[in-house]
Amino acid sequence: MLKTIRLAALMSVITLTPFGLASAFAEPLKVVASFSVIEDFAKNVGGDRIEVTTIVGPDGDAHVYEPKPADAVAMSKADVVLVNGLHFEGFLQRLVEASATKATIVELTKGVEPIKMKEEFEEAEEGEAADGHAHHHGDTDPHAFQSIANAKIYVKNIAEAFCAADAAGCGAYKANADAYTQKLTETEGEVKAAIASIPESKRTIITSHDAFGYFEHEYGLTFLAPEGISTEAEPSAADVAALIRQVREDKASAVFVENITNTRLIEQIASETGLKVGGTLYSDALSFKGGPASTYIDMMRNNITTIKGAILGS
Amino acid sequence: MLHLLKTVSVAALLAGIAATASFAEENTAWRLFISDHGEPVVRALDAGSGRELGKFATKVPTSLARSDSGKTIFAVQGKGDIVQAISSGISIGDHGDHGDLKIEDAKLLDVEFAGKKPSHFVDHGGDIALFFDGEGVARTTSETDVLDGKADFRETKTDAPHHGLAVAFDGHVLLTEPNKEKPDELPVGIRVVDASGAQVGDVHSCPGLHGEAASGNILAIACAKGLLIVKSGDKEPSIEFLPYSETLPEGKTTTLVGGRGLQYFLGNYGPSAVVLIDSTSKEAFRRIELPTRRVHFAVDPVRPKFAYVFTEDGMIHQLDVVSGAITKSLPLTDPYSMDGHWSDPRPRIAVADDAIYVTDPLKSTLHVIDAKSFEKTKDISVEGKPFNIVAVGGSGETH
Ligand SMILES: [Zn+2]
Repeated sequence: MLKTIRLAALMSVITLTPFGLASAFAEPLKVVASFSVIEDFAKNVGGDRIEVTTIVGPDGDAHVYEPKPADAVAMSKADVVLVNGLHFEGFLQRLVEASATKATIVELTKGVEPIKMKEEFEEAEEGEAADGHAHHHGDTDPHAFQSIANAKIYVKNIAEAFCAADAAGCGAYKANADAYTQKLTETEGEVKAAIASIPESKRTIITSHDAFGYFEHEYGLTFLAPEGISTEAEPSAADVAALIRQVREDKASAVFVENITNTRLIEQIASETGLKVGGTLYSDALSFKGGPASTYIDMMRNNITTIKGAILGS
Repeated sequence: MLHLLKTVSVAALLAGIAATASFAEENTAWRLFISDHGEPVVRALDAGSGRELGKFATKVPTSLARSDSGKTIFAVQGKGDIVQAISSGISIGDHGDHGDLKIEDAKLLDVEFAGKKPSHFVDHGGDIALFFDGEGVARTTSETDVLDGKADFRETKTDAPHHGLAVAFDGHVLLTEPNKEKPDELPVGIRVVDASGAQVGDVHSCPGLHGEAASGNILAIACAKGLLIVKSGDKEPSIEFLPYSETLPEGKTTTLVGGRGLQYFLGNYGPSAVVLIDSTSKEAFRRIELPTRRVHFAVDPVRPKFAYVFTEDGMIHQLDVVSGAITKSLPLTDPYSMDGHWSDPRPRIAVADDAIYVTDPLKSTLHVIDAKSFEKTKDISVEGKPFNIVAVGGSGETH
């Protein structure tokens, strides 16, 4: 495979771009991405200088993913491992140990201002505590990538990590990162414009789990969810009842399923309140190729289009 | 549905929260439960010191199974027509960012399940299914009820007595389908029934069915030509057949265990090979030849990379499940030939904390191997013929 590439590169050397030139002669950098969003960032920054293996693929749920021996094999061969951090990947520690990887583990949320888990159901939380044990769930929200401003930080961190692992490609990585960051800025403008077109009284919506805290913080929609910042714990009946009350009191204007979690709970809330499910939001994973959200930019565009359509159409 | 690989997740979580301010103290506790091949007794030992913590009388000599949570030990007495339950005295509550470790005395619970020839025990997320071969009946209950001293159960019947198994899965029960013409032979498939007892869909064909295990959210059932892979579905369990790959020689799996911390299955493949199974991978089967016939194997719940296999030449082998190779071997006992009856006294393996424990029934000994160096560290003498062994424990905060 590599031989073919080299030969092709030699034969067409005149037509190569400056960045392509270097990549044609080097072994690709072996990168492991913990989940699909990071894979997309990595490909945008790394281009054909890297070879990415992704652990949690499209529509996968990283919170509850159970790592396979093959993931450990991939990690053991990696030059760079890109992860979200903030305890998003519950499986990470196990996999690092099982693989005995010598690769640098790069936490892409480094430099992101972390936000805390929302406490929209304080009564319910207190109720739980009454059984004699206070629950302190890991309270930092890990879904930083749901803000495009943060996505730019991820991209910068990736470029730095690639530069450290492959100095010869640093120019290419930086140029790629700049070009992609430009596209992210454009996308962010679209998101902000779409939200501005939604009346303020209609800006509260319901999803399955608290994946959109950073989106809310950055762009000003309010998201309520029966499940917390991880899909690991089952929601309490009190949480679900509180949500249904919110809808009945006309505080929430649309309800959405997510691509990574079971739709049953949201369908139950929808049917009990008479709200129609407004569509699928891509929360913690991209869609498969050919789907509506197979890149990060498409995911952000698709989500805001779906949200706007459901609210304004209702 | 949200089945985490608990033992490890608690340990991993604990590793990550060292900085969290806490007035609680972190402790580790592991216990071993050992049955005797000839006597109706179960001994509880402190794993670290080998000190005997208690001794429980069963009706007849028993085999042992632990629940997923480790809170309960089930004494399945095929020849005594009874299943008894022991509270292990160790419980680890997972509270998201930390685990609470509660230690009490182990005790025989005032709960028993009577029925002809109990065989397979399966725990799926706290739902316990006991299969009684002599009646062809499954009795399902919950671990919470058992620990509360309630012997309530639901009964699901098959068409004939046979050597089978049942799994309580997402509100349904999976049951073996007996071979109608020859009920003495192995079952031919899996039938799914819902909460009302009504059959859901067709019988899933699985001739020569023997062996079941769960790893995380996947359940595997071994058949003569492949495995049934069971996952949560939208309304009912989704079941698919995974045939043995064509690159495998003639053989089949009849015993399965599930990976903890890594999602995979380890099974025998014929008498002197094992197979690592990852149903999600393109190369689902990796076969590893053993030097001689296998006696027993177990996965390491603390170090997900490893599983251990004991062979009839008296050796224990460390199997690296990532590379798919035997990485270390250690001579441990006199030979234990697999000739003779399958239930003759032979060594069994359990892993607790940083050590691997192997019973040596004919020497009244429990061998202890350091899991890191894979060297023998000590022998503990245990009266009689120590046979089945299970370990429970972990780390957590004690308040
Ligand atoms: Zn999430």
